[in-house]
Amino acid sequence: MPVQQCRAWNRLPPNPSLFNINNYQITIMIQCKTSKEISGMGHSMKRKEDGRFLQGKGNYIDDLKLPGMLYMDIVRSPYAYAKIKNIDIEAALKVPGVAAVVTGKDLEKYGLHWMPTLMSDTQMVLPTDTVMYQAQEVAAVIATSRYAARDGREAVRVEYEVMKPVIDAHKALDPDAPVLRTDKPGKKDNHIWHWEAGDKEKTDKVFAEADVVVKEHMHIPRIHVSSIETCGCVADYHKVDNHLTMHMTTQAPHAIRTVIALVAGHVGLTEEKVRVISPDIGGGFGGKVPVYPGYVIAIAVSFLVGKPVKWIEDRSENLQADSFARDYHITAEMAGTKDGKILATRFKVLADHGYTDASANPSKYPVGMFSICTGSYDYQTTYMEADAVYTNKPPGGVAYRCSFRVTEAVHAIERITDRFAFEIKKDPAELRMQNFIKKEDFPWHSPTGWIYDSGDYHAGLQKAMDVVDYYGLRKLQVQKRKEGKLMGIGISTFTEVVGAGPSKDFDILGIKMFDSAEIRVHPTGKAIARFGTKSQGQGHETTYAQIIAEVLGIPAENIQVEEGDTDTAPYGLGTYASRSTPTAGAAAAVAARKLVDKARKIAAYLLEVSEEDLDWEPGKFTVKGAPEKVKTIQEIVFAAYTNHPQGMQAGFEATHYYDPPNLTFPSGAYICVVEIDKETGAIDIKRFVAIDDCGHIINPMIVQGQVHGGLTQGLAPAMYEELLYDEAGNILNGTLMDYLVPTAIESPSWETGHVVTPSPHHPIGAKGVGESPTVGAPPAIANAIVDALSPYGITHMEIPITPFKIWKALHDRGVV
Amino acid sequence: MTTSINKVFEVEHPIDEVWSSLTDPYKIVNCVPGAELTEQVDENNFKGTVKLKFGPVKAGYDGLITFTERDASAKKMALKGLGVDDKGKGNAEMNMAGTLIEKTPGLTEVSVSMDISITGMLAQFGSRLITDVSNSVLDQFVNNFKALLDGKEFDNTLSAGSMAGSMVKGLFGGNKS
Repeated sequence: MPVQQCRAWNRLPPNPSLFNINNYQITIMIQCKTSKEISGMGHSMKRKEDGRFLQGKGNYIDDLKLPGMLYMDIVRSPYAYAKIKNIDIEAALKVPGVAAVVTGKDLEKYGLHWMPTLMSDTQMVLPTDTVMYQAQEVAAVIATSRYAARDGREAVRVEYEVMKPVIDAHKALDPDAPVLRTDKPGKKDNHIWHWEAGDKEKTDKVFAEADVVVKEHMHIPRIHVSSIETCGCVADYHKVDNHLTMHMTTQAPHAIRTVIALVAGHVGLTEEKVRVISPDIGGGFGGKVPVYPGYVIAIAVSFLVGKPVKWIEDRSENLQADSFARDYHITAEMAGTKDGKILATRFKVLADHGYTDASANPSKYPVGMFSICTGSYDYQTTYMEADAVYTNKPPGGVAYRCSFRVTEAVHAIERITDRFAFEIKKDPAELRMQNFIKKEDFPWHSPTGWIYDSGDYHAGLQKAMDVVDYYGLRKLQVQKRKEGKLMGIGISTFTEVVGAGPSKDFDILGIKMFDSAEIRVHPTGKAIARFGTKSQGQGHETTYAQIIAEVLGIPAENIQVEEGDTDTAPYGLGTYASRSTPTAGAAAAVAARKLVDKARKIAAYLLEVSEEDLDWEPGKFTVKGAPEKVKTIQEIVFAAYTNHPQGMQAGFEATHYYDPPNLTFPSGAYICVVEIDKETGAIDIKRFVAIDDCGHIINPMIVQGQVHGGLTQGLAPAMYEELLYDEAGNILNGTLMDYLVPTAIESPSWETGHVVTPSPHHPIGAKGVGESPTVGAPPAIANAIVDALSPYGITHMEIPITPFKIWKALHDRGVV
Repeated sequence: MTTSINKVFEVEHPIDEVWSSLTDPYKIVNCVPGAELTEQVDENNFKGTVKLKFGPVKAGYDGLITFTERDASAKKMALKGLGVDDKGKGNAEMNMAGTLIEKTPGLTEVSVSMDISITGMLAQFGSRLITDVSNSVLDQFVNNFKALLDGKEFDNTLSAGSMAGSMVKGLFGGNKS
């Protein structure tokens, strides 16, 4: 059985005398084009949404109480794989307040017992005969109060016939493994799909002839987003007008409306009869993209009884049943020359998807953007292949603060790069500098087909090395090693791929991955802007307002941003995978530019000059050579309603659906410094410097907050988090007592900074930053720990790297 | 999840006396905290119940207990217990083996090993406690068994609160007793 951890084991008291920590953000100079009053891009404007959040006035799903509302609780399977022999609901129906118990057989009558996943696989809503993972939904209890629903849940008796499950992904394809998806006609094994990229023949040849070849197996553990708010909904169906309002914790309300119409259109819920409202969301991180059975059951029950039905998961249900992330078993290999030139890489992936492929990937990319695994390095030979399997574990594969499997790819390339440096005894920073794609080589064509838009990897790493005093630390390390102390320095220089995406390649269930913005400016010059995305804490109400302010010159303070209501917002694919700024943010900029064009016409009319005679700066037009002749944007907007030129449409509104020409490629150079206590294995992160390049920065304060949060969520799988299962499929850490989400106690002082290479194809040169730190941090930490242990011949440690794993590795080598 | 525990202890009783207690279904099961035999199916098979409680987690198992070995000459016994949670929330399997060695006449060494596999709610929510609880259960069994041989009174109900409490004390360096 894997050893579990306790909170705060890993933190030794800091000893700052040895390490010079910058406890503040590394200052960056941002030239702002607008005044503080306008607060366009580059201003650290305070978040507009924080007023209500800090005062406890947010409007979350569980705050919603509707008249006559019923409550739902869910009976879940204790077994990973079992036949259902009987479900006895009699005792539950006698519990005061319980109105009904819904089983798979009930849903089957309406054809609602199965649903599609985002990857076009199939998933049970409620089972009719077999359960496929522990905590799977088995029946739903509907009652007049939450307590009655829970009491009713406890009273449902289910008889099971337990079967031997498939838990280990490596054994899922064994000839004697039971075939799990017997619901699929003709399915003879547990294989889901095979995917490859690159050139196998060329790669094998380079490997066969290379001086140096290194290889490591690594597991990117199954983890969970563990957002503070769990999932839930209030399904509110009105029989009288055949209309469903679905209040729901979703990151993609428009896509959900379409999915509901596709799944339930046959019972009359066509798309115009469905309204999805996503209220304030307490963290999503990808976990609120999928449709969970609870949502569908709530809709079905509300539809049948004509009353609102609320379902809110408890913490353990969220952790045990909702989509996991990662769970890739990777074999990474690198071939190179003795002097450090990377020649080729080879990757083999085994993806454990659990019971069904419920990944949140673009349709064309079952393995997501894993093929970004060639990283930040200049070589053209690679081959990667991936196979996915079914097991008796909860389904998923969500993009947890990660653009579709980029975290897995970055861990593989950054670990194997360090392994290569260790093999040829070359400094890992120098090896990276030697192999980086050069600034002037962008746009750069990767061997797996991506076109990196821009970057300056040398500058990023140099800045991180300067801030951390890299060579000073290497000297200190030599001295510490002489004293028998364990100190390590780890680097991660990653390239991200975000902003999905161009419609020619990117869709989810066929819907192209554009996004949208609609700006309406009122006569007095104040605006409302609506988007197809949905903030879950990212600060869209502020950043979108700043983008519009930057272009239009209307103060960000006067621009109200609204998202999440499908009846009012323009269609979009939602917020995940760092796509909001690259897509909807771009849409806002383009829509605002359309308004500047209209404003120019009105200004010319008002000032009685031709359009060419006008100079624009955000907020006003002036006549060339006559700077006293001015029309402010507010005056122009007022005229659009009161005194517009004949022949021009009145009003001041614009909408844009932005289809990105390419993805954006943020990057980062992270350096982590650790000390490890030899006797206990305790890890102390002494320094962590994160230099990000997310292109133009909209709000430096929000970016810094994003980076801090993301780094902590990168620390999580590196040292703490992993969903553990025993051979029977029992989860071993199904509560937050045992599943350790790092908090401020565990977090080191993050030192953050930037280099800026704007995206050349993005309207405001921004690239997105939400996930970079989550993606880049784990290999920096793992590389630092392995570096500390390297004098004892240790070349790899599986994350999460716990004190026990370190102690055991040292103990096995006779060190302690 | 599966946990294995072994205990070796000595009792000041002749080996044959110890053997007859160890292999008497009603006596031996009565020493297991929370366990009770409810029905004899045949010579080797019995029906019974086990109730466990620690912290907020309660479990009651209806089960079948089977003596798989009772070798009087080698003084080896083994039994298997299969239980299903009485609310359908999981199951448990226990394999127990006991061996007796005569150290000196009147002094007998008892070796007991238990393998316990738990599936379902108890494993989902209490996995970190199962080894400790199982240890406590076996300790309590040993004490009860000794009391049985000495002809003393003993209480076979599982004192859940005190057991969880003693574990917490143990974890944080308090006095386990």
